[in-house]
Amino acid sequence: MSFEELPHTADIKIRARAATLGELFSDVLAALMQVMYGIDRSGGISREITIEAPDSESLLTDILSEVLFVSEVDGLVFQKAEIRIDGSRLFARFDGEPFDPARHSGGTEVKGISYSGMSVKKDENGYMVEIVFDV
Amino acid sequence: MLDGVLQKGTYEWEVPIGFVPGMRVPGRFFLSEHLESILESGAIHQLAHVATMPGIVKNSLAMPDIHLGYGFPIGGVAAFSLDEGVISPGGVGFDINCGVRLFTTPVPERSVAGRRELIEDLFKTIPTGVGGKSQSKLSPQALDAMMTKGARWAVEQGAGVERDLDRCEENGYMKQANISAVSSHAKQRGYSQGGTLGSGNHFLEIQIVREIFDSKAANAFGISKGQVCCMIHCGSRGLGHQSCTDHLKIMEGAMRKYKISLADRQLACAPLDSPEGRDYFGAMAASANYAWANRQLITHAARRLFARTFRIEYEEMPLVYDVAHNVAKMEEHTVDGKKQTVCVHRKGATRAFGPGSPDIPPGLGEIGQPVIIPGSMGTSSYILCGTQGAMDRTFGSTCHGAGRIMSRTSAKRQLSGKDVTARLLQKGIIVRAHSENAIADEAPEVYKPSDEVVQVVHSAGISRLVARLSPLGVIKG
Repeated sequence: MSFEELPHTADIKIRARAATLGELFSDVLAALMQVMYGIDRSGGISREITIEAPDSESLLTDILSEVLFVSEVDGLVFQKAEIRIDGSRLFARFDGEPFDPARHSGGTEVKGISYSGMSVKKDENGYMVEIVFDV
Repeated sequence: MLDGVLQKGTYEWEVPIGFVPGMRVPGRFFLSEHLESILESGAIHQLAHVATMPGIVKNSLAMPDIHLGYGFPIGGVAAFSLDEGVISPGGVGFDINCGVRLFTTPVPERSVAGRRELIEDLFKTIPTGVGGKSQSKLSPQALDAMMTKGARWAVEQGAGVERDLDRCEENGYMKQANISAVSSHAKQRGYSQGGTLGSGNHFLEIQIVREIFDSKAANAFGISKGQVCCMIHCGSRGLGHQSCTDHLKIMEGAMRKYKISLADRQLACAPLDSPEGRDYFGAMAASANYAWANRQLITHAARRLFARTFRIEYEEMPLVYDVAHNVAKMEEHTVDGKKQTVCVHRKGATRAFGPGSPDIPPGLGEIGQPVIIPGSMGTSSYILCGTQGAMDRTFGSTCHGAGRIMSRTSAKRQLSGKDVTARLLQKGIIVRAHSENAIADEAPEVYKPSDEVVQVVHSAGISRLVARLSPLGVIKG
């Protein structure tokens, strides 16, 4: 897992790097969960989500937005995600647990996923993205 | 100052056409010399990019609390003509109708100051923070009514008094709400969050009026020195966040459909006179109404607690005013000597209508609209009033708050929640939050000094100082 938080005045900016696009997206999802619920997260309950979008940036924004929705409405905190991307189609399997106020209340609610200068880049080392969470 | 930006007055600056390609009108912003030292160049570029949008009228504006936002800068104001103009979710933000309200109490300072159990009771009564849910879930019918009637719905449920509605911007609801434009996802997020505060910079704060600058206006607003007040800052919760997310996606398609090409993808927009534009406006208004009802429900819970604790009557806690910080509205303004209805986007900016405006509460017509500017956790908040200067120059708008200057990463590195709490306690301010991180994140030093921001809008004449309030206790997400 590889992501880091970069300085951003108003919101939260994350940089992630990974060998594959699926791993990159998994890392960004882990970052989102960490920002919202902290590091003490475990598994046990699984969820599957499939989405379609025309490009990598839209796929990433859409899956993150969908996770914000599922997590809030179903009261679930995800520990990790396994993501497969096939062209314009993304399949995700999440592993998580019910929201526990005693362990998961310390984070910051993310209001939305920003397109702010976001682009998924590929070079000889793999994939990299910088993304802003609106908080 | 940045190259190419021109000084037009002591506190007023112009970003001329040509600063970035495609600008249709100049940009204008308000800033003091000291605030200039913490200005982000990216925020001025955002201001300039807004000036490239179709149908923008007169100026792309920013208030002195300007900083980098999503598409529009925070502190940004822009008006669009109804025939050629556009509407943009980025000009409103994810937290639709994030706003602030203030009610006064007859409780003396000595009964409240240093009283930790009051803050603990408020923290237990009002759900806060990530995952904070209301005790009872709204029915689909109740949610629809909440989105349609806003604060009026809450008052009809017994959570307030009729006078509260007179003291809300728009009387607590926008009549253009279209609940069929609100997605099922957004509605599902709305069922369990009525009356919840949220996290981040949202708070409920007990304050005391320390200083009166304009006694005539303070009198009219019902404010006096030494008065204990309660300030509530929150928005439309997950329902509003989801509405923004859903319609941003629709706008991306609309940009292609209407052949609108802009430098920044975050400025996604659609013509006001298009199905996509109308749908967003209807969903945004419904979300704004949810936010007004939400603040009314929180007010009700706080008033009941105060009434029980201090044996006072509910009616002894009148609402001073409720303002929206993130919203787009159809308003009539005078542009180049002619009256024109425009769609004014305020993104981290406050409506500040001057004397004589028909939209001012009864009895305040000669004074101007009350404006509430929250400080950060340890710093002063302010009451101002709208002016003719704002009507003439900023589409009746002023600043909305202090504005961040330190990133959350730096705040966490440099500040400990424990130290911040102890330091505030020494100043007589009790802070209660779910985590120390949340306190470090929102420490007073991460914000611009609110005193300086309000001084700029006062000196520039786009609103007038009425009163200053200091915090005594605060609950945060």
